[in-house]
Amino acid sequence: MISSGKVIKLFYDISSPYSWLAFEVLCRYKNVWNMELKLKPAHLAGVMYGSGNQHPGLNPRTLLYMTSDLTLLSQYFGVPMHRPENLSKTDSLIPMHFVTAVAGKDKDGGDLVEKVSRELWKRMWSTHQDIVQPASLTEVGIKAGFSATEVEDILILAKSQQIKDKLTSITNEALEYKCFGLPFIVVQVDGKAEVFFGSDKFELMAYFLGKTLKII
Amino acid sequence: MSSSRKVVELFYDVVSPYSWLAFEVLCRYKNVWNIDLKFKPSFLGGVFHGSGNTEPGMVDNKLHYMITDLKLMSEYYGVPVNPPSPCKKDTLPAMRFVTAIAEKNQEENVLVEKVSRELWKRMWQKHQDITQPLSLTEAGLLVGLSSNEVEELLTNAKSQPIKDKLKSVTQEALEKNAFGLPFIVCHVNGKVEVFFGCDRFELIAHCIGEKWAGPCPIKTTM
Repeated sequence: MISSGKVIKLFYDISSPYSWLAFEVLCRYKNVWNMELKLKPAHLAGVMYGSGNQHPGLNPRTLLYMTSDLTLLSQYFGVPMHRPENLSKTDSLIPMHFVTAVAGKDKDGGDLVEKVSRELWKRMWSTHQDIVQPASLTEVGIKAGFSATEVEDILILAKSQQIKDKLTSITNEALEYKCFGLPFIVVQVDGKAEVFFGSDKFELMAYFLGKTLKII
Repeated sequence: MSSSRKVVELFYDVVSPYSWLAFEVLCRYKNVWNIDLKFKPSFLGGVFHGSGNTEPGMVDNKLHYMITDLKLMSEYYGVPVNPPSPCKKDTLPAMRFVTAIAEKNQEENVLVEKVSRELWKRMWQKHQDITQPLSLTEAGLLVGLSSNEVEELLTNAKSQPIKDKLKSVTQEALEKNAFGLPFIVCHVNGKVEVFFGCDRFELIAHCIGEKWAGPCPIKTTM
């Protein structure tokens, strides 16, 4: 496959509902725009800490706004988010270590990270199930197509220093782009990089890419 | 077929460059969409104070991002925002001036639109002051007010009724849970939907049953 030279990096955390919206749109558009989509599982709390920013869910008004905003957006984007409350309640370190470990096992161009991430978002934001217990992560892994043995290996790997360091290093990569929240998207075309924050910049992104955005 | 116009309120402050983008888009769409556009000059400092939110520029990475974002947005939206602005950011006198104009011409928006645009151009395109009476005088004259009219408005702007009016419009935004500007309030079929920022127009169109044709539905030059 000849590379088009166009790369989109998506830094995300499954505790970020807007990251789910951005993720689904980019998955749909990667072939429409002929781009290589690189999924970059990161840690939102680490981004907040490293940039000195505060989680918007800590302000009651922004929290209220995001709840109604996400209800409207999830309908419009066709992403099954239900009752998007609890925006800042669950720390995502454990599931993001799990995703990072899966990324280590995924082949280039493989879709395991995509499947596992989607499954985790569904659990957290759609069906409101646990995403921290080993039994929960096992269910996620099996739904994504891993065998029970493979999932066990991934769970062990997820606790290793190597994987913890990997998540830290991807989070730092986002901070190097001056990230202050997630989702954070880096579009690289012809040696130029442009950054976009949030899930409402796709029209601007399309302008940057010189293409026409079509809603499927 | 006649359908009643949908009321769209824009709460804004000229210190906010994103408010300028939202303002220009809504001005372009007021004759394209079946809407009744109402300008709501507000005070961003008051919105931050009332909501407990902090100015985004206080976080270095956010400030850096906003500059690059505004440059690309300005190009795409065809609005000559030139960030960062080195101007003083106390817009209380300017927003009181705009409020005085709004109160004087309650039925028509034209002067409010022209003066607001002139103030944004000064602060965000030409990097000229908008805090001093002389600056506001220049802006007023440029949009076609006489020097007597400007003097009268500047005096009114310092009066208690105008100070209270700006406070009450800002409070209106806070009552709808605003935490920043621009804040767009749409009234559709008895329901109220609120939108923050200038990146929600596609969603706004969807909510009010109109079609979004990008930030420049009709070719204009600014």
